Amino acid sequence: MTTPELLAVAIAVLLAGAAASLALARRARLAGWVSTAFVAAAAAAIWVVVVRAFSSRAEGEATVLALPDLGARLSVVVDPLSAFFLAIVATIAVVATLYSVDYMTHFAGNTLAKFYPILLVFFAAIVGVLVVSDFLFFLVCWELMTLTSFFLVTFERENAASQRAGWKYFVITHAATLCMVVAALVLWRQCGSFHFGDLLAALAQLLATRPLLAHTVLGLLFIGFATKAGVLPMGDWLPDAHPVAPSGMSAALSGALVKLGIYGLVRFFGALLPASAAAVGWGIAIALAGTASLFVGTLTALRQTDSKRLMAFHTIGQIGYICLGLGVGIACLRTAPTLGALAIVGALFHAANHACFKACLFLGAGAVLYRTGERDMNRLGGLAAAMPLTAGSSTVASLAIAGVPPLNGFASKWLIVAACLLAGMAQPLFLILGLVAMFISLATLASFLKVLGAVFLGQPNPERRVSEVPATMAAAQVVLAALCVLLGVLPFWPLRFIRDAAAASVPIAVPSASELLGGPWGLAVTGGGAALALWSPLVVAGGMVVLAFVAYGLQRAGGAGRREVAVWTGGEEHAAATVRYAASSFYLPFKHAFAGIYPRIRWRVPAFPGGLRRAFDVDAWAYRPAARLVERAAGAVSRSHVGVPQVYLLWIVVGAVAVVAIVLGLVG
Amino acid sequence: MTTAPLLALALALLNVAVALLLSPLVEGVMRKLKAIVHSRQGPPLTQPYLDLLKLLGKEDLRTTGGLPYALAPALTLGSVLLLATLVPLGAAPPLGFAGDLIVLIYVAATSAVALILTAFASGSPYAAVGGSREMMMLLSVEPVLAVALVVGAVKAGTLSVGGILAWNAEHGPTISMAIAAVALFLALQAQAGKLPFDIPEADQEIMGGPLIEQSGPRLAVFRWAMWAKQLIFALLLVQVFVPWPHLGVVPLDAVLTLVKALAVLVLVGVVDAVNPRLRIEQAMGYYMRVALSALAALAFAVIGM
Repeated sequence: MTTPELLAVAIAVLLAGAAASLALARRARLAGWVSTAFVAAAAAAIWVVVVRAFSSRAEGEATVLALPDLGARLSVVVDPLSAFFLAIVATIAVVATLYSVDYMTHFAGNTLAKFYPILLVFFAAIVGVLVVSDFLFFLVCWELMTLTSFFLVTFERENAASQRAGWKYFVITHAATLCMVVAALVLWRQCGSFHFGDLLAALAQLLATRPLLAHTVLGLLFIGFATKAGVLPMGDWLPDAHPVAPSGMSAALSGALVKLGIYGLVRFFGALLPASAAAVGWGIAIALAGTASLFVGTLTALRQTDSKRLMAFHTIGQIGYICLGLGVGIACLRTAPTLGALAIVGALFHAANHACFKACLFLGAGAVLYRTGERDMNRLGGLAAAMPLTAGSSTVASLAIAGVPPLNGFASKWLIVAACLLAGMAQPLFLILGLVAMFISLATLASFLKVLGAVFLGQPNPERRVSEVPATMAAAQVVLAALCVLLGVLPFWPLRFIRDAAAASVPIAVPSASELLGGPWGLAVTGGGAALALWSPLVVAGGMVVLAFVAYGLQRAGGAGRREVAVWTGGEEHAAATVRYAASSFYLPFKHAFAGIYPRIRWRVPAFPGGLRRAFDVDAWAYRPAARLVERAAGAVSRSHVGVPQVYLLWIVVGAVAVVAIVLGLVG
Repeated sequence: MTTAPLLALALALLNVAVALLLSPLVEGVMRKLKAIVHSRQGPPLTQPYLDLLKLLGKEDLRTTGGLPYALAPALTLGSVLLLATLVPLGAAPPLGFAGDLIVLIYVAATSAVALILTAFASGSPYAAVGGSREMMMLLSVEPVLAVALVVGAVKAGTLSVGGILAWNAEHGPTISMAIAAVALFLALQAQAGKLPFDIPEADQEIMGGPLIEQSGPRLAVFRWAMWAKQLIFALLLVQVFVPWPHLGVVPLDAVLTLVKALAVLVLVGVVDAVNPRLRIEQAMGYYMRVALSALAALAFAVIGM
């Protein structure tokens, strides 16, 4: 099969799965299993496409449908950049759907007809966004993706917070889409085509002839993509929308959806800017936006006590890292190809890593929610003993997002920070950005130590009976945690492909994989023959393990006995719950120091126009009055039916007399 | 930088051995010094060794189970020893590679992670307060370390600690490196967990903080890790930022470095002996100012001074 055929199969399977799960929606678990099976089948097809795109058997563009009058054609091409994001989406989709099988059963009051079918269409739309190479169809898929995700965010219809968050998401993302539409139309007027290549060529020409217009178009595109990615301040929808979505969907939002914004940035900015004169300016702008996002997002996350809201703010922070890498890469790709490539590769790698650990963290928070019904970390604690698998995978993912070596978060942050510092030798601003990134990495650590401490560690609350989540939910988390370890210890394996993805997306020749990334045992960045930077996770991890064994040997050398004792609380007996250190107490002085960093602007949320709402509400102006009329008539009729046989006989007699009178009258 | 693997391994073992075996002696010297300043007799210099020996044989009382909790002391000491192999002692860092500066900064935080997780896991509210303070101190001090090392990186044009050392030894003192060295020295006080910055432990207040529920061999290993850590950071300071006189003979340089490190720690000990404890927000404000001043060093480095 050719690549377009495989993609068509994948999308058809997803849509068939949507229909099947719709038919089975009354049986929650069965619908979940069927959806998982269909998503897995589609993911398998997508993985074949991915492998093919990275092998030498890559195929050119295929046009499915041409609309010559519009200058648009539905053409499909899977280059390594698309393939890289397809791989992320395929993995996250399977894991999130598998997790939902059991998770969704506790929404007993809600019909799952509005979850699985929409989820599968959502995945199909994402695949569409990633493979089309025509802006018109890109926007169609993008809009489908936004709409379906809106319905998934507002899944809990009776929950007012979820409706409000969904409305905010709807308004902000559509404003962003509008920016993209305007940008596309401006470019379309220039070249009469919606094809990516033509649009980019038109934009490049505009940069030379009418720079003001070109930069406006670039700015509109940036707003469009950065909003979806969650870059502040446009990403303000994210901390509201993520917590209210069902946890499997939160994982898909953070793991897959926000990455699409990054895809758009790389696809347009990475493909256009590095070769142009505007590279440094836009690179610095993107890097600054990223740094602001990671600084504000992470320090705001530190203040949260709602577990899923905290993680949503961290998504903003981690997206900031990706944008920082991207910006540095765009700024210095032309002058220093090795460094620029390093930064872009680091940014893309961080996108993949973020998908793994943040999806895992959302699933972990969902597991806790599933068993305890709590998202407020002040009221949780000591769950590690009861939920070892959840606690274990959340710990691994927490350390990964905090960049503890040798996990995957460290590998990609190392690339980004190294690129920042090396680029900073020529452009001192990047030094500061690199230092901020390192500091925020520590704040991320603080935030997730708080999560672990407040949710999983400490003494369990004996009044709460908690057990481990069902196998499907546990398996989903463990798989993602394992990926975090694997990608961290063997980063050079995925990085070869990510280097291909970066090379395919930028207009400048990127150094070969061996030159950029070194041999099979470590990352070695060489530029002009000299070693610039090197990181060998296996050596560090191995050294760590050996030295920890030495330390453990020392600890056990005395042959001391062991005994379990109660916690000492000043000589008095206290229940575990009364001496808990609540989540809101952690790092109080530090939180006070950064209190006003995320301004809450209290503007009036535009309410849905009342007149329009009434116009759409057919119930209110047609059905209910009609029903009331019928009811009143029936009441009047029933008043005459009193249930006494004599009265009915009387009516019959009266009726007969009347009929006879009428007949006589007519005949006479 | 192209040390043969065997030599690197030998040097790594040397660093680990120095960190393990000499750090209690250094702690003993500091205790004695504190006693002298306080007009006390003080314990013998070997007291920390005796403490460790005694603790290693004592009963291990635990408030909670679980594998991570059981492994936490080993991970703490293990990561401190890993840090030792990333720090130069007379020669280039044995485990050094071209990007080890970033790795060093992150590994330095890793030992604190294991300690803080232990504190939270032990279930004691005192430990939780201590762990929270430990994290805030880390948030305050680590930027100073990062800025100082980046100053070196800019001067030397490399991300390797060994490269910074070599550059510094060759080019002699500069204004930016001097400011960075002072900042790092001020940070050392907190990294060693000494007054006025022993806020996470604060014995008289929260009774040892993170370590309150640790006893016997676990306490011994945690203490050992803290002592090793103060020696390692002193070594990093004197070797990378004040490497002169650099003779080029590894054993001589190593001995010289140790003497200099001891001198620096004696200074730390004196500050410890004559100061009362600060509150956590005072410490955070202090280190924020230190880090911002260290940015001046970065500015000097960028303009080549």
